[in-house]
Amino acid sequence: MAELTSPSPAADAVLSARGVRLGFAGDVVLDGVDLDVAPREFVAVVGASGVGKSTLLRALAGLLTPQHGEVHLSAAGEPASRAWSMVFQAPRLFPWRRVRANVELGLEGLGLSRAERRARAMAPLELVGLAPLAERWPRTLSGGQQQRVGIARALAVKPRVLFMDEPFSALDALTRQRLQGELAELRRRSDAAIVFVTHDIEEAVLLADRVVVLAKPDEHAPAGVRDIVTVDLPLDQRRGQAGFREYVQRLEQHIGVAATHEETPS
Amino acid sequence: MKRLARHRRTLISAASLIGLVALWELALRLGWLPGNLVPLPSSIPAVLWAEIHDGIWLEVVLASLSHYSVGLAIGSVLGIAVGVAAALVPTFDAAQSWLARLLRPIPPLAWIPFAIIWFGVTETAAAFIISIGVFWINYFTSYSAVRAVDDGYYEVAQAFGQGRFTARLAKISLPAAAPGILGGLRAGLGQGWMTVVAAELFGIPGIGQRMMEASGLLATDVVVVYMLTIAALYALFDFLFMSIQRRALRWQN
Repeated sequence: MAELTSPSPAADAVLSARGVRLGFAGDVVLDGVDLDVAPREFVAVVGASGVGKSTLLRALAGLLTPQHGEVHLSAAGEPASRAWSMVFQAPRLFPWRRVRANVELGLEGLGLSRAERRARAMAPLELVGLAPLAERWPRTLSGGQQQRVGIARALAVKPRVLFMDEPFSALDALTRQRLQGELAELRRRSDAAIVFVTHDIEEAVLLADRVVVLAKPDEHAPAGVRDIVTVDLPLDQRRGQAGFREYVQRLEQHIGVAATHEETPS
Repeated sequence: MKRLARHRRTLISAASLIGLVALWELALRLGWLPGNLVPLPSSIPAVLWAEIHDGIWLEVVLASLSHYSVGLAIGSVLGIAVGVAAALVPTFDAAQSWLARLLRPIPPLAWIPFAIIWFGVTETAAAFIISIGVFWINYFTSYSAVRAVDDGYYEVAQAFGQGRFTARLAKISLPAAAPGILGGLRAGLGQGWMTVVAAELFGIPGIGQRMMEASGLLATDVVVVYMLTIAALYALFDFLFMSIQRRALRWQN
């Protein structure tokens, strides 16, 4: 594992983690996680369910304090922006706010006037194609539209790092595919690095520059970084390209080994 | 259960009410009921007019409304403040928990002796008694409503730089709990109004006192006039509150 990551934080990284250990009470779930994320890089984190992907994401964002190790996240890039933001598995829009006011949430307290906030919220809403629904209540939106609003809310603060916690897993297959395509497109227009947790390996290979595989060495040990795979395919039409299936198979093997261990406890 | 069409339902409800009043009138006129125990329904409009014409009706209604609004305002504001604070601040929650458990089962009217000792037979005493019942309803519903707020919203707040206590309170706890808090306010509106009359029975000017006077003279028609007044005013408050509530919660269904 050690040779796959650099020992000291990379100089230009927007996010670095060193020796991160995470758990609940006495249980260690993840240990020895090292990770560097470069500006504008898209890093996917995959692993079997329960391996600690979402927990790692929250620790990288600073929502959880690691039991051991360090996480360093760059400060906000420009005035009236935030260092990071997050898209959750469920959209978690505030039902008592209209769509635009939901997108404005992260802009509050940044010293912007109401008009500036409004303008800043409309730009990402246009990006996700929902500007015409800005004055609607969230409950009147479909699941896919709500998740788009969640993405717009996260982009509005112009984050250095955008954390995404299985953002498409609660959507139907068609909507998921459409949003995956939209996200690939959004990357070109945003300066944010993206850390994207998913249990869907194809999704990871489809979108990411690098895929981090979390797995347990054996069923009693905490999980760690088993492999980091650089996806060397052009972003356009990845699914149809020659190497796509090989990447998917390689990653499936890494996760599959750990999954077999989990299913056959001694 | 089978549902009735709306107009049919209204028709049956109206017919039932009118039928009952007619039966009551008939029972008195035919001598099935003694006339000194209940008034003739047909005599009520004239008595109401007399009360209004003499200025008594407006005077006692305004007096009751003044205790009611003061008691309601104090009880609601304090109830919501304490309930929300207890739901959000664990130390305060622990500090008030046993005290609340001890005091909550005591009915507002059991405070009448202290109300008289502390405030005398005054409007303040009535407002105090009203505020107690209103307080507990608002305290309990606000506490439960804020406790029931989905933790996920707080994580969103934290992720978007709104993690400070005041931001969480204003942007999450209060709006997310608003349906419950408003439900408590509405229940307090009713509970407070019921307490008004009881609080006035011991001599504080208002609807209750007027009813006691009338009952002393066996003027059952006057008693009924004020019973109907209480019902009508409550229906009015509830209707007004419902329209405000509907507007405040229009983000819901």
